[in-house]
Amino acid sequence: MFKDTRDFIEALRASGDLHEIEKEVDWDLELGAVSRLACEKDGPALWFKRIADYPADRTAFANPMATWRRVALAFGIPVESSLKDIYAEYEKLEGKLIPPVIVKSGPCKEVIKRGADIDLFDLPAPMLHDGDGGRYLGTWDMAVSHDPETNWVNWGMYRFMVYDARYLTGFPRPTSHLGKVFQDHYVSKNKPMPMALVIGADPISHFTASATYHIGGEEAALAGGLRGVPVELVGCETNDLKVPANAEIVIECDVLPDCVGLEGPYGEYPGYRTGEMGNGILCRVRAITHRKNPILTVDATGYRDDSSTITALTGAIAIKHRLERHGVPVLDVNVPREGAVHTAVIGVKYGGKQVAKEILETLTSRRALLSKILLVEPDVDVYDLGKVFHAFSTKCHPAHGIHVIHYEGRANTLTPCYSQGERALQKGATALYDCTWPGEWSREWEVPVKATFDTIFPDSIKQKVLSDWRSYGFKD
Amino acid sequence: MASKTEERVWETFLRRPGDLREGVEMPMALRDLTPGKNKYQMRHVIALVTRRADEAASMDRLRVRTVVGVLLPDTWGVRIICDLPIELPGRPYRDFYEALAKAASSKSQTSR
Repeated sequence: MFKDTRDFIEALRASGDLHEIEKEVDWDLELGAVSRLACEKDGPALWFKRIADYPADRTAFANPMATWRRVALAFGIPVESSLKDIYAEYEKLEGKLIPPVIVKSGPCKEVIKRGADIDLFDLPAPMLHDGDGGRYLGTWDMAVSHDPETNWVNWGMYRFMVYDARYLTGFPRPTSHLGKVFQDHYVSKNKPMPMALVIGADPISHFTASATYHIGGEEAALAGGLRGVPVELVGCETNDLKVPANAEIVIECDVLPDCVGLEGPYGEYPGYRTGEMGNGILCRVRAITHRKNPILTVDATGYRDDSSTITALTGAIAIKHRLERHGVPVLDVNVPREGAVHTAVIGVKYGGKQVAKEILETLTSRRALLSKILLVEPDVDVYDLGKVFHAFSTKCHPAHGIHVIHYEGRANTLTPCYSQGERALQKGATALYDCTWPGEWSREWEVPVKATFDTIFPDSIKQKVLSDWRSYGFKD
Repeated sequence: MASKTEERVWETFLRRPGDLREGVEMPMALRDLTPGKNKYQMRHVIALVTRRADEAASMDRLRVRTVVGVLLPDTWGVRIICDLPIELPGRPYRDFYEALAKAASSKSQTSR
């Protein structure tokens, strides 16, 4: 299992999933444009070796896990694994927690800068999209924070931009785990919240930071379980937090409880820049530690970015388990890449009004990230989007099959279809499209018979056709 | 601190059309477009802006983007009157521009 970003880069090189760019690239839009196009082409991860305005020992590694091949590689399973197999691998391992171990030092301490030596502009933070509010240093990152009441240490992947040489602003949403701990335990007491922004740890640690994981859950232990070996953590220089010792860069800061920061707008994971601007959090940097030749990790945020794989995967499994706990007859959940973590396909034993209501209430009770849910029966493979669309088009009743729940104070403020006013109030809705047959319809007399090869022929004919297939002149 | 030693180019973001007003000292967040590794550094200031070409000729240039980051075609002239703190008093997640206006107002009262 990969101990750090460099190990992972080596493995990507060996599997043909890395492209190294030796030509000098400008951090101001060019790096972002190359990385964005690579995402949209399902291209390899990118390692930019020469960055304009920066010395040769400052490089950037973009889109670490933006394809399923790279997710599979990070998990240590064959890169050709099916989506279903990758989901299953995560589901198999996520309950096996291995707590981290503390070490005295590590590569992330090779260079330590404090006080007047701190200059965030020494790191080649890219201007990723034309018109973004700033240069985003934190995209493929993990923000480490601590809940002083429960001792819970949270890892979360949130965006952070360079404000000036010693300040970052960020927008972990107010409903996020970090946002909640910050407001409940630090803002309310007017105390600065210590935070460590980790850049370029091992891939699975970042994966867990972006994972949909329950409040109070330690992502460090989840990462250990997924890796099969504990994550090595080392103490920060200016606070009591612990960070992965093999990280490329660590930025130690205080999140200020009595200041507001201008942050955004930013081209976000839904694939749009929605005008989320202002109203951020302000972080005063107290120390920067890094390797001697630090590699800045970057997610070229937008359509088919890293979140379209990893956030979708962990979100789907979290949804499945929540629904199971609430007694919903769930079988499988897929959060498709193209849905930008806004749409889930939920396979159930049976649907209907009551199941729809239970699902909507369960998935929108604290924060509502999904705005569309497609409910399908066991005859539809949730991973086969063609079959899902067929079910949606044919089985969802346009008048009775659509169920909507409205909410305020917990909507996803990055959802592009919401108005600026709705976003300010965190007001939104989730629609569930029930693509299952009504339970009261007789299977013998009322439910239409699906006219596909699998369903409308007797087994004897199907077997004969399959075994004789080549004899009809077909090659496959 | 006046900014006019050599022409510099700044950029600001607006929430709504009409948020930028001529002839009055305005609190603003500006980012510095000077090329180099410090490009896009932010600054909180009180500044005067103008659209009149004759006035703008002796000022720094200001580019304006909307809340969704779209660059507007017109360039303005801007003169920085004084700086406001980067650590802007306010409540996290609350309105930055209200906090900026409040800081500008207390700065004006102090300097009177």
